[in-house]
Amino acid sequence: MHHCPEHQGPSVVETRNLRVSLGGREVLQGVNFTVPKGQVVALIGPNGSGKTTLLRCLLGLQKPSAGEVWLFGQTDISAALPRIGYVPQRLDVERSFALSVREFLALRTAGARNWFFHSNKTNDQIIGASLTEIGVVELLDRPLAHLSGGQLQRVLIAFSLLRNPELLLLDEPTAGVDTPGEQTFYDLIADVQRRLKLTVVLVSHDLSMVFRHASWVYALNGVICCEGHPEHVMNAESLKQAYGIHVSPYHHHHHH
Amino acid sequence: MLNEPFMQRALLAALFLGPLCALLGVFVTARRMAFFSDTISHGALTGVALGFWFGMADPTLPLIVFSLLIAGAIVWLRERTELVTDTIMALLLSGSVAVGMIILSLLKRRPGDIHGFLFGDILAIGRQEVWLGAALFAGVGVGIFLWLNDLSLITVQEEMAHVCGVPVLRMNFIFVIVLTLAVAVTIRMLGIILVTSLIVIPPATARSLSRNLRQQIILSLAVGLIGAVSGMLLSYPLNVPCGPMIVVTCIALFILSLVIRAFRRNLRIPSPA
Repeated sequence: MHHCPEHQGPSVVETRNLRVSLGGREVLQGVNFTVPKGQVVALIGPNGSGKTTLLRCLLGLQKPSAGEVWLFGQTDISAALPRIGYVPQRLDVERSFALSVREFLALRTAGARNWFFHSNKTNDQIIGASLTEIGVVELLDRPLAHLSGGQLQRVLIAFSLLRNPELLLLDEPTAGVDTPGEQTFYDLIADVQRRLKLTVVLVSHDLSMVFRHASWVYALNGVICCEGHPEHVMNAESLKQAYGIHVSPYHHHHHH
Repeated sequence: MLNEPFMQRALLAALFLGPLCALLGVFVTARRMAFFSDTISHGALTGVALGFWFGMADPTLPLIVFSLLIAGAIVWLRERTELVTDTIMALLLSGSVAVGMIILSLLKRRPGDIHGFLFGDILAIGRQEVWLGAALFAGVGVGIFLWLNDLSLITVQEEMAHVCGVPVLRMNFIFVIVLTLAVAVTIRMLGIILVTSLIVIPPATARSLSRNLRQQIILSLAVGLIGAVSGMLLSYPLNVPCGPMIVVTCIALFILSLVIRAFRRNLRIPSPA
């Protein structure tokens, strides 16, 4: 048996009957999506199912045509943004941009406005500590544009955690990472989540990894077509319809 | 040579406009906007031609207005059509060059200095350009260092910048306006065809020698300054147009940066990977 996540505590994210139309097509057709505090919730669905659109609504990047978004019990998204850490799908930093990892993290460190003119010891300590925590302190002085997919994702996690967020939103976080890297990445997320007691929303079209790490899964295809504990959702008829016939948690699936 | 008032004006303009373009260029190249700047500058040709058509001795005003119109048209078409930005810019670039040339060829009296607009002209740099250059350089210099964090975040990724509380739309709007004004003012010095080089070459030169953004910005400013001033100084005794001379000087500095980079690598001094 599974029970609805609303009953497990106050919700950090809640959408009510959310509708979005893009280019004449209704991408979200009345989505009710709830993330209780302290949970790792996965949002899955095939490409074009509206995952990214839903995420953009949560971040205030997309205006819904109807319905409401509630973050931390309020509808003012810009007021909620400081409490959110966001890891984008992929970062396509131009190689001609010399921004180093240290400078990138300094952009988000409090009181770092003048990193350009003089270095700041407190700041350097915060940045060094955050990278050590994520296990990539050796990348400190490398240009951001030269990092591999896996390294970049770790730096982005460090960046998103700098202002102590309560909610972490990850959009296809392992899109540019190889399979072994993917495993360690999800282990890292799980570790960070436990330690900092974060609420996490993982957006992915990749089922297998998500199922191992999420405590609750929403399957989206224009509407929430099913939700529940991973093993429950995995066996649901509606998920099989959304994804095609065979779904197995133990194989890596690609959907283009 | 330095006693000539026109040479003093030209040097002052180089002193402001070189670093101005170089500073903006760091972000223009990183945001893949080099072609955007090229489109704006070519759009200016129609502005210049219209100025002559209406009998203006100095077409600076229509030049700036038309550059802003082209910048607006790029943004508008990108929002309203399915076309990719590259296509929109190629269309506007060739379109405005074509219209400009047609207007110029219909003029009863051919303006003598269209060559100067295409490749830059020391004599065309008046007090107006010097003042505009100085004001823009001061404004951009202060603005970039005040909003360096915001601008850098937008350059890395706009969505992430938004989540970090950066007013992305407003910043982008200001950036496009400032870039357009910088291009329009620098056209008198470098010419419509070459103006983008002063935006692209200094940050590229700086990139091969720098390990972080701070070094890249400082080196880019230096290359813009040295390239513009020494190009200007060389163009007069050599009796060549100042635009091409500035570009050649900047390219010489770029080649030098590649040589230094190669040396550093051979000596195993840590350099950017």
